[in-house]
Amino acid sequence: MLKYVAQRLTMMIAILCGVLAITFALSRVLPGSPVEMMLGHRPTQEQIDLAKAELNLDKPVFEQFIYYVADVARGDFGKSLRTGQPVLDDVIERMTATFELTTIAVLIVVLVGIPLGVVSAVKQNSFIDHSARGFSIAGVALPVFLIGMILQMFFYGSLGWLPLQGRMNSEVLLDFEFPRVTGLYLIDTLIAGQYTAFASAAAHLVLPVLTLVIASLAVVTRITRNTMIEALNEDFIRTAMAYGLPNRQIYFQYALKATLIPMLTVIGLTYGFMLGGSVVVEYVFDWPGLGGYVVGAITKNDFPAVMGVTLFLSTMYLTVNLVIDILYFVVDPRLRAS
Amino acid sequence: MKALFKVAWAVTAMTFIALFSLSPVAQAKQNTVTYAMYGDIKDWDPSIAFSLEVMMLANVYEPLLWYNPPGSEKQFTPALATSWSVSKDGLSWTFKLREGVKFHDGEPFNAAAAKASIDRTMAMKKGAWYIWASVDNITAKDDTTLVIKTKTPQPIDLIASSQYGAYMMSPKALEKGTDWFNKGNAAGTGPYKVRQWVKGQQIVLEKNEDFYGGWTDKNFDRVILKVVTENATQIQMLKGGDADFISLVPADLVDTLDKIDGISAYAIPSWKNSQFLINTQKAPTNNKKFRQALTYIWDYNTVVNDILAGYADVGRGVVPATMWGHDASIKPQEFNLEKARKLIEESGVPADQRKITISYIGTSETYKNAAILFQENARQVGVEVELLPGAWGVIWDRAKNLKTAPNMQSMTWWPTYPTPNDWMIGLFRTEKKALFNLSHYANPAYDKVLDEGVALEGSDRPAAIRKYAEAQEILMDDAVAIFYADIKNRVARRTNIQGLQSNPAYAAVFFYKISRK
Repeated sequence: MLKYVAQRLTMMIAILCGVLAITFALSRVLPGSPVEMMLGHRPTQEQIDLAKAELNLDKPVFEQFIYYVADVARGDFGKSLRTGQPVLDDVIERMTATFELTTIAVLIVVLVGIPLGVVSAVKQNSFIDHSARGFSIAGVALPVFLIGMILQMFFYGSLGWLPLQGRMNSEVLLDFEFPRVTGLYLIDTLIAGQYTAFASAAAHLVLPVLTLVIASLAVVTRITRNTMIEALNEDFIRTAMAYGLPNRQIYFQYALKATLIPMLTVIGLTYGFMLGGSVVVEYVFDWPGLGGYVVGAITKNDFPAVMGVTLFLSTMYLTVNLVIDILYFVVDPRLRAS
Repeated sequence: MKALFKVAWAVTAMTFIALFSLSPVAQAKQNTVTYAMYGDIKDWDPSIAFSLEVMMLANVYEPLLWYNPPGSEKQFTPALATSWSVSKDGLSWTFKLREGVKFHDGEPFNAAAAKASIDRTMAMKKGAWYIWASVDNITAKDDTTLVIKTKTPQPIDLIASSQYGAYMMSPKALEKGTDWFNKGNAAGTGPYKVRQWVKGQQIVLEKNEDFYGGWTDKNFDRVILKVVTENATQIQMLKGGDADFISLVPADLVDTLDKIDGISAYAIPSWKNSQFLINTQKAPTNNKKFRQALTYIWDYNTVVNDILAGYADVGRGVVPATMWGHDASIKPQEFNLEKARKLIEESGVPADQRKITISYIGTSETYKNAAILFQENARQVGVEVELLPGAWGVIWDRAKNLKTAPNMQSMTWWPTYPTPNDWMIGLFRTEKKALFNLSHYANPAYDKVLDEGVALEGSDRPAAIRKYAEAQEILMDDAVAIFYADIKNRVARRTNIQGLQSNPAYAAVFFYKISRK
């Protein structure tokens, strides 16, 4: 097992180097130097030349790459050309916001999607099955930003029940300060004992999480349903039923376990996808996360930020996949035996 | 497993119930005003900032003078300078400074601090520093007397009222430098102090108790500058009452917004204008009659009324009609395909060479639609137009170089400080290496008249205006550009906000001057 993990980690580093080189090349080859973007609307020729020299943009691309790799080895990912802050700081700060959003969304997708899938499988072609499938497919078919905006218009605009955007109410952010320990507002506010702030953070999470959940529920539900149906047709299930074991036990203890391998794969992919793909949700809800940050970076050719975020997201995605693969071992005794 | 799911459901349900009961409803507190900004502040250093930072800068810092809206009795309102004068030769300006003013960090404001602020901005050579480029030296004669000497005569009073690069900063802050500023710190003399910066979410200003202007209970104690990047979200906030002002107001929504109860949306004059610069050195537009023909092919009224939804006036020359120094005798250019045809024939450009390229920022719907309209009208008079949209960085690079430059280039311009020479110099003065003079216009006669006007601007404004009028006529005659729109700014706010003055010199709301009914 250890050998397997070591092998995977080495592969990860190789992949990351490749990602680094490709992204670097692309960011330098694409036209439109970032200098014009970062100097404001009226730079003088002098300012442009100075900025280009500062960023080593006047040197050949290969040389620029060497400079960059040397900096990265020292832990310096450069300064974002748009925010002027170190990229590492920006990424870590923004990452925790995205992490909070997507982790809760994935949890809910799992907690809702799996039972829904099981029920759909067990009561195949019943009314519950059809409506569950219909609802979740509609969720996946509707564009994410449309789901978000409709939720906003309904729950904020018409009903006034939930907040429109952001992570916390402005005045609560101001009057109930709390130290950022993990960067996850739900946890940090509880640690600091600020319950009003906790309630505000939770309320602000509802709509963005709901949007992400609706958009990805179908995948989990469908996979669960299909693999459950397959599992329920297996001989060992028929045997268990013949023994007269309670239905609940058959479904959730025996059948569901058989679906865990494909389930894990889907959850891993969904999580990885959400980490980078929450861009639209972050934009609609002004969630100060990594998605919005990286889109801004790409459109303005803020290449230190683009590089930093790409490296970070690639690492996260590869790590999630590695964890899923390790979980396979944990979950499937057949793999453990070999 | 079953128990686990039951517990999970119970927790989720309880959370939802708790949320609904505990979530604080946004109160419209009497003393807090909220402005929805389309982006976060990047440069906190007033010597460098050159963008939407002005929303914060204009409330936290003060320059020596504030420029009053056009049409005011006096041209300036004293800020940190209470009176000023210029020497006969126009090379020396003396400012009498306001006494008893402190910076937010407790440092006293005096001539030494003013000198330090301007010297530093000049030395850093970033942002809008170039407005001070002609300054020779600055002396703090005594605590309340500041003398600014220039190499050539300059309108230092106008320069000192600039919305960028002219703010007075605490000398202690200057010592700490840009990194200190960029942590969200500020030390000005303005009516508001910076209270909080939550990156990517909001900036909160709170009242400076010691501000010399004094406070009444009608003033706002707190200003929340909220980062809301999406236009649709901004509008929802305005409708819901969570924002009192929004910054992104699409022209086609102004009328709809204004009809909503509680919201006022309307146009205000600005100093922004749009033009398509015509390349005077590239065939066939290097031919004057051909250029003049192009100005007759543009459909001015359709562009202004339909494409810009009526939120612009047809341009009359290079300087917008709202700016002092605009030559009122200049007639707007005309849409007349017959005249265009005649001029094309007279120009002598052979039929197979009547091809031009037009470059513009691809993501702009207005540029695109205007260019397509132009292309169609040009086709009717036998001129073939090739559209070259692109990202600003790319097209700007191409336009600067004559080899790759297009025949027509989109541009939108506004001044750094309140002067008409900003357009005339920035866009059309001869440049060895083109920066913004993308018409590649090089006319020594024009340069001479312009320079004479600038030299008079500080000391004899009426004479300067006469020179500027001459310069504007030269540009019109030479058909250096299609001056098609003086843009109107749009405001969308809650109706109960009072005291808002529109001033094209500052892209900021002065929160100290407004109150809620």
